[in-house]
Amino acid sequence: MAKFVKTKRAFLIGTGIVGGALVLGTTLAWRRVANAQNFKPPVKDGETAFNAWLKIMPDSTVVVQVPRQDMGQGIYTTLAMLVAEELDADWGKVRAEQSQINPVYGNIVALGDSAPPPMKSAMLAMARVIGLQLTGGSTSVRDGWEPMRTAAASARAMLLGAAAAKWNVPVTELTIEKSIVKHAASGKSAPFGEFAQAAATLTPPSSVTVKAPKDWKLLGTSPARLDVVEKTLGKAQFGIDVRLDGMLYATVKHIPYVSGHLQEVRWKNGTPPRDALHLARGDNWLAVVATSYWSAKKALDEAELVGGGDTGTVLSSEQLAAQYNEVLDGKNDGVLDAGVAHLKPLRRTFGEHGNAEKAIASATTAQRIDAAYSVPFQAHAPMEPMNCTVRIAGEGKDGKVDVWVGNQAPTVLQWLAAGNVGVPSENVTIHTPYLGGGFGRRVDLEVIRQALACAKLTGGKPVQLIWSREEDIAHDAYRPAISARMSAALDDKGGLLAWHHRMVGPSVSKSVFARMNPLAAGDFPPDVTNAEGAAHLPYALAHFKCDHAQVDLPVPLGFWRSVGNSYNAFFVETFIDEIAVALKKDPYLFRLELLKDQPRFARVVDAAASAAGWSSALPKGWGRGIALAESFKSIVCQVVDVEVVGKDIKVRRVVSAVDCGTALHPVNVKAQISSAAIYGITAALKSQITLKDGQVQQRNFDTFPLLKMAECPQFETVIVNSGAALGGIGEVGVPPIAPALGNAIFAATGKRLRGLPFVL
Amino acid sequence: MPTALTLNLAPVTLNAPDDKPLLWALREDANLVGTKFGCGIAACGACTVQVDGVAMRSCSVPLSFVAGKQVTTIEGITAIGPNAVQKAWIEHQVPQCGYCQSGFIMATTALLEKTPDPTDADIDAAITNLCRCGTYPAMRLAIKKAAQLKKAGG
Repeated sequence: MAKFVKTKRAFLIGTGIVGGALVLGTTLAWRRVANAQNFKPPVKDGETAFNAWLKIMPDSTVVVQVPRQDMGQGIYTTLAMLVAEELDADWGKVRAEQSQINPVYGNIVALGDSAPPPMKSAMLAMARVIGLQLTGGSTSVRDGWEPMRTAAASARAMLLGAAAAKWNVPVTELTIEKSIVKHAASGKSAPFGEFAQAAATLTPPSSVTVKAPKDWKLLGTSPARLDVVEKTLGKAQFGIDVRLDGMLYATVKHIPYVSGHLQEVRWKNGTPPRDALHLARGDNWLAVVATSYWSAKKALDEAELVGGGDTGTVLSSEQLAAQYNEVLDGKNDGVLDAGVAHLKPLRRTFGEHGNAEKAIASATTAQRIDAAYSVPFQAHAPMEPMNCTVRIAGEGKDGKVDVWVGNQAPTVLQWLAAGNVGVPSENVTIHTPYLGGGFGRRVDLEVIRQALACAKLTGGKPVQLIWSREEDIAHDAYRPAISARMSAALDDKGGLLAWHHRMVGPSVSKSVFARMNPLAAGDFPPDVTNAEGAAHLPYALAHFKCDHAQVDLPVPLGFWRSVGNSYNAFFVETFIDEIAVALKKDPYLFRLELLKDQPRFARVVDAAASAAGWSSALPKGWGRGIALAESFKSIVCQVVDVEVVGKDIKVRRVVSAVDCGTALHPVNVKAQISSAAIYGITAALKSQITLKDGQVQQRNFDTFPLLKMAECPQFETVIVNSGAALGGIGEVGVPPIAPALGNAIFAATGKRLRGLPFVL
Repeated sequence: MPTALTLNLAPVTLNAPDDKPLLWALREDANLVGTKFGCGIAACGACTVQVDGVAMRSCSVPLSFVAGKQVTTIEGITAIGPNAVQKAWIEHQVPQCGYCQSGFIMATTALLEKTPDPTDADIDAAITNLCRCGTYPAMRLAIKKAAQLKKAGG
């Protein structure tokens, strides 16, 4: 314990001198490594653990400890590449293994990103102490970048030290090629696994140097993903595939409303069917435990859940839109009626320079441009329905809890399960298999609470709780509906002078944290995700302001792939297009004009326009649109070609350029850009969540349709390696796709669509 | 009532209600979890298997329907494979989260049996499964590659 306290102090002192210099960055990474040297993951099959991040087997297989979750973004592969590169390991003998839960694996970058700039260093300090493992915010590689490479370089030095001692040669004369240690002068060579045991007993070096990019052999190439073979053979294990002796199954039903409480359960025949072995009940749900999912589902179909509340039972999407407009009109700063939003809107300015309001107010009608936009609620809809398997053995301090669940935050789960069951957190084991899609959905804890409640009833038998797709769509934690009004003023020379972005909507972070722990739900610090992608723009604007009015809604909200960027890019990049049209300027060249002091952005826009053949002719009925967005420290520009036939919108081609600093696995970078764009096209053309009388009107893929193969456009993606600091990749292809598509529809039809999903 | 069928070339008897969907009989009673639950209404295709060589969405087929029939799941393909589709899938690095992939592989395997050289239109018409990760671009290339491999005897 004393050691842990000391380490925490060291981190706090370390963060007190954050200055951004490269050397300091290495120092901080080194502190994480030094801490990591003290934590060794459990070993089996002759493995030797070097530090928290890697083990080596006698046959030289490298087992990389990955504390992030793979939900399709390929993070097992990219993080393993960081380690393999520094070890010069043979990629064919590298495996990734989900790490245990330990503060050494905390995602420091994710928490740092979540803080407003003035609070960032305090948040980073706290992040190092808490050590929260979570996968989100496109942070995994950025966070693992220094500690994992440094840990591997440290292990490499130890392996070479052991080889030098055994062969009695200077360590400086040794090299590693594809896991083989070589001494050129003597011709000696041996796989590094032979030295692993001896090497691990050596004192780790006090400093190491990681490779310069010019010396990389693996990073920047696209080796086979570690998960593709098992996923292709049907052997990959997802949470829903867990099978345990004596396991029971359960399923859950919520009250029909998005909020409120369960008051009464009415069974079709007066009592629960015999197949229902146990019933678990929560604030707004009922679960049935049975010997099969199918029989649990059939039993639960006989239950009518009566309940609700004042607010959730009346909310409709139309009414919400009207309320939003009143807030944007500056009215209704008191208690809003009909219980839509209970609190006075919290009005905040997220970015400002110059005096945009004054410049816009003094503009002539001819110099002024205004437009109003909106986006609806969206569901995540990962293909693997929500599920969680729990086994509880014993109770109190001797009790043990095992939880199998695809999740994005195992540390939080461990706390939750320990508190919920009443056992020490070290007695809780979280097993994280592959996630059948995440997109932010698996940050939510409700399914885990429900599975814990079921497992408490079964006398130690494990229970697998599965949500039906209907429950998933109708009871998600949604990307919020947002409305925005944009105003711009032009100068006398026809240039863009002032920009004012005003919007209204709830805070996603507040809703997420409130559901994790009501004590954590506050209005401070400001939720930076509200205005991400809107608070700071790359464009040259003399006067700029971004305002947000935050309201509380009785609807659970969640982080949805790219979060605030998903709607802000739509508002910003559609409005830029409208201004270009008003100025009779080419939308691509207009953006370049506004980016004259932003060469990194301009290069990405040029790359996309050039690859797309921006000025090339299109068939009749087609249109081409462009949009640019920076998110998660990466820059993406997309050019969309669309064909419009009557009211039918067919996306034909998407050309993207991406600058994520350096593409570490280019094939996966391209796969993620098209993946995210398809996710965004589904939201722009196909699906939405609407509310009527407090109920979600969509239930399954019939009413919440996804883009299909037949509707999928052609993709081309250009990678721009600027060498800038690394950016994220899993989400960054979402933000620009909706505006690029909307701008293309305008080019094809002359109709400006200002709400999603697009309907002609 | 027990249902006798041929599952992945082996005769089996599953003790489950007649109206239990084949999907759940496979996952719970036959312990074959490669076939996935996605929607329960035959909309997504994650549960696609072959019944007497025809691709079917097992969430919407009662167990009684397959009495005496040949059912093939992803495990059955893998046991004698990997087949041309799986080889092409690996070559084109198709899966992302991977959850829907068994269903796509089963649907594609059935397509290539009937249509050895599918056009884009054939693919669009036959492969109507849903992939939320959007692996369609790589998948289309892999389907065409699988057709080539299959013709070459792979």
